[in-house]
Amino acid sequence: MFSGPLVRVLAPSLFLLALSVAGLGLPSYWQYVLALSVSAAVIGSALAMLVGYARCITIATGAMLAIGAYSGTLAVLRFDVPFLAALLIASVFGAVAGFVLAVPGVRFRSHNMAMVTFVFQAVVIIVLRQSKSLTGGAEGLQVPVPHILGFSFSDDGHFLVLCGVLSALSILPLVLLLEGAFGKNLRAVASNENAARAFGINVNLHLVTAFVWSSAVIACAGAIMAPRFRIIDPDSYGILASIFALTYPIVGGMSSIWGGLMGGIVLRALPEVLRPVADYLELIFCVLVVLTILFFPQGFASMVPGFARRKAAKNVGAGEPTFPRNVIEDKNMIERLAAPATSPEPLGRPLLRITGVSKSYGALRAVADVSFDVPHHAIHGLMGPNGAGKTTLFNMVSGLTLHDQGEVFFDGMPLSTVPVEARIGLGMTRTFQHAAVFDKLTCLDNARIGIGRNGIWQSTIRSAQWALSLRQASAEYKAAMGALDAVGLAARAHALAGSLSLGDQRRLEIARAIISQPKVILLDEPVSGVSIDEAESLRLLLITINRELGTGIVIIEHNIGFLVSLCMRISVMSEGRVIADDDAKVVVNDAHVRRAYFGERETAA
Amino acid sequence: MISEFVMIVVGGLKMGAIYSLTAIGIVVIHKATRTVNFAHGAFVLCGAYVTYGVVEVLHIGYWAAFILASLAAGLLATVLEFGILRPIRQADSFAVITATIFIGIGLAEIYRLVENTEMLAVGGMIGGWPLFIGDAMITREQIAVVVGATIAATFGIAIFAYARFGRGMRAMASNPRGAVICGYSSDAMNALAWFVGGAMAGLAGAFAAPSTGVSAELSILMVTAGFAAAVIGGFDSLKGALLGGLILGVAETLAAGYVSSAMKNAVSFLLIFVVLLCRPQGLFPEAKIRNV
Repeated sequence: MFSGPLVRVLAPSLFLLALSVAGLGLPSYWQYVLALSVSAAVIGSALAMLVGYARCITIATGAMLAIGAYSGTLAVLRFDVPFLAALLIASVFGAVAGFVLAVPGVRFRSHNMAMVTFVFQAVVIIVLRQSKSLTGGAEGLQVPVPHILGFSFSDDGHFLVLCGVLSALSILPLVLLLEGAFGKNLRAVASNENAARAFGINVNLHLVTAFVWSSAVIACAGAIMAPRFRIIDPDSYGILASIFALTYPIVGGMSSIWGGLMGGIVLRALPEVLRPVADYLELIFCVLVVLTILFFPQGFASMVPGFARRKAAKNVGAGEPTFPRNVIEDKNMIERLAAPATSPEPLGRPLLRITGVSKSYGALRAVADVSFDVPHHAIHGLMGPNGAGKTTLFNMVSGLTLHDQGEVFFDGMPLSTVPVEARIGLGMTRTFQHAAVFDKLTCLDNARIGIGRNGIWQSTIRSAQWALSLRQASAEYKAAMGALDAVGLAARAHALAGSLSLGDQRRLEIARAIISQPKVILLDEPVSGVSIDEAESLRLLLITINRELGTGIVIIEHNIGFLVSLCMRISVMSEGRVIADDDAKVVVNDAHVRRAYFGERETAA
Repeated sequence: MISEFVMIVVGGLKMGAIYSLTAIGIVVIHKATRTVNFAHGAFVLCGAYVTYGVVEVLHIGYWAAFILASLAAGLLATVLEFGILRPIRQADSFAVITATIFIGIGLAEIYRLVENTEMLAVGGMIGGWPLFIGDAMITREQIAVVVGATIAATFGIAIFAYARFGRGMRAMASNPRGAVICGYSSDAMNALAWFVGGAMAGLAGAFAAPSTGVSAELSILMVTAGFAAAVIGGFDSLKGALLGGLILGVAETLAAGYVSSAMKNAVSFLLIFVVLLCRPQGLFPEAKIRNV
């Protein structure tokens, strides 16, 4: 990558500025059109956050524009607030409106969330139309010409420059957040909510924040443009305005902020270019969107080489993945690792103590009164036929599922009051039975999320640290590369996780789980669907992590050989209960276990 | 007073039965193909437009309008499913939802471009003197629409619940791969579900045409009402959609009669909001039997 982070953050703003200044050479009418386009670029960028990154369908854009336009105009008219201060007020109103919309909205996904935003849109317009004394009702409101320090922006050229400067400023925070850690976290949420939560991302808080930011910026854009319309009325901010704003990120492309930005510029200018066929405009837009979804699901920005950075990056490290070099190349280490595992010194209290944990789904007792301990630094196996309750138990330990009875103690601390997002901070990470990498992010970003600094403030601060190339950001980069190197994925650091093979995805999951150097890792079937060679290298890796970092490992696996060669102790579950819990060698020879497990396995296989 | 109330409720039941029919179409499509169809209002518009053509232009009776409106809307739905939605369903639900939003707007736009008028009026379904219950006046048309639309809705529910291809659609809904293995063609089943859903929307359009007229706004009006009714009923419950539509219709006319006409417009949004927040499974969720 030749461009530094700061350049990437500033580029969209500089582009808008340059566009506005270049527009000064145009005739007055086209300066007006260009101002519309530049403000649409702001709307498109704000929707890129919500629609492109967080994958929330919102049809409340018109309402947010209206809230910004009306609150800004009324601040100027009623309270003689200076124009720039009125823009700030409009943004604050937009942020509050975004919060009010998001708090009920994020309880839902897909069409129900769209319905909530639709309700919000409709109610805002009804309220604007009804409160005649304040808003002028359906007739609308006259907007005064903006003044800044006595200078009046009535000329189209002057207004274009004003619009360009203000738009460039208003998208800065958006670009910073989206290009930085916050944007990666949003993508993680969109691609797998459970995995995101297990790595400390508070899903709803991130979505609410995305709504608040994008609404504030949209409202600001509404307030900037209001003077240019001279009269604002509720109907111009109706449901159709919302739906056509949705076209910006969809047609432009959702893989980066550039899609929404360019989509806004081009699509807002389109009606003016297509004046002769103005009647067909809405139909043309609809056809354009459907064609885009059918034939260019990545949007048009992905077809321009400069914007397709992610795509190109995919091919950078497409070489053979290297296996953990330090393990493979060091023959001594292999011999050392191959030595039989000895039980380490037991500390006072166990790392993990599960006491009487139960979980029922209706009449089905998925986990029934399970108790066992995992000492510090141990590798503990968990086996049992499908449906025995192993994954449910993992979900309860990691907090994704609430247990009905019993308690899980982590290093002596009861976990039932600790939310799932906080458990990585205690030193607990996990992998998933169905590989749950964040497919739209690079391997590097997947590993970075594993570091666990994903609270809403932390991700905001991390975005700034990244943009300013601070030391913390480069430390994160090094840690992430180190973790990828440990699992042999360093060469594919910039490839999208979704493009990896299943075996590589499982290794990426392990890199993500070990990077925070947790006290315990929960591994759910790490070698299912993985080749024998890869399984062996994974086994060595796990032993290395356990020996060198002292990390405790609890591992669910059907591959008995793999389990016995790795674990000191194995618990066996069947029909929700623990039927054996002993040394690995003892357990596999236990008659109960053989009946419950091998018997069923043979018929199942 | 009471007679006024009765008249308001009957007027509400009339629109409500039309909403029910619309909502059931949405639910059938959602149950069978896991697709949330925001283009449904356009199917209603299609039905209403065909009704206009049959009744006002060709001067054939309403019986022909019912048949042709449901056929036309059903075919339109099938063509959309087969031509546009089937290829993108593999991608993700996000793409499908946005596609249906824009298809709905686009179809309404096509109508607006073809008929460049504010509104096309369609004559009444049944003439004759109104009936009186006490002082309350009830038109024959109101009775015909309530009874006719409710029968059509019940028929639609019965098809889904008992007919052979209804079983196929339900199988496809609960486990697409399993249904394919059992010999159901997924493309055919999806197309069939869209045909049934579209046909019910077309019927709703035929019932609605005399009272609402035909206009591009009918599309967005009906998709909003249909969704509100479906959400009230629990979105996956056919009987819930039927009751949800009737509740919505009555609530709207009560709000218009006793509060204000602005309140009438807000009622469906308020109902969606309250139901989603307080009872997201809907007022009449389908009983889920868990087989252990």
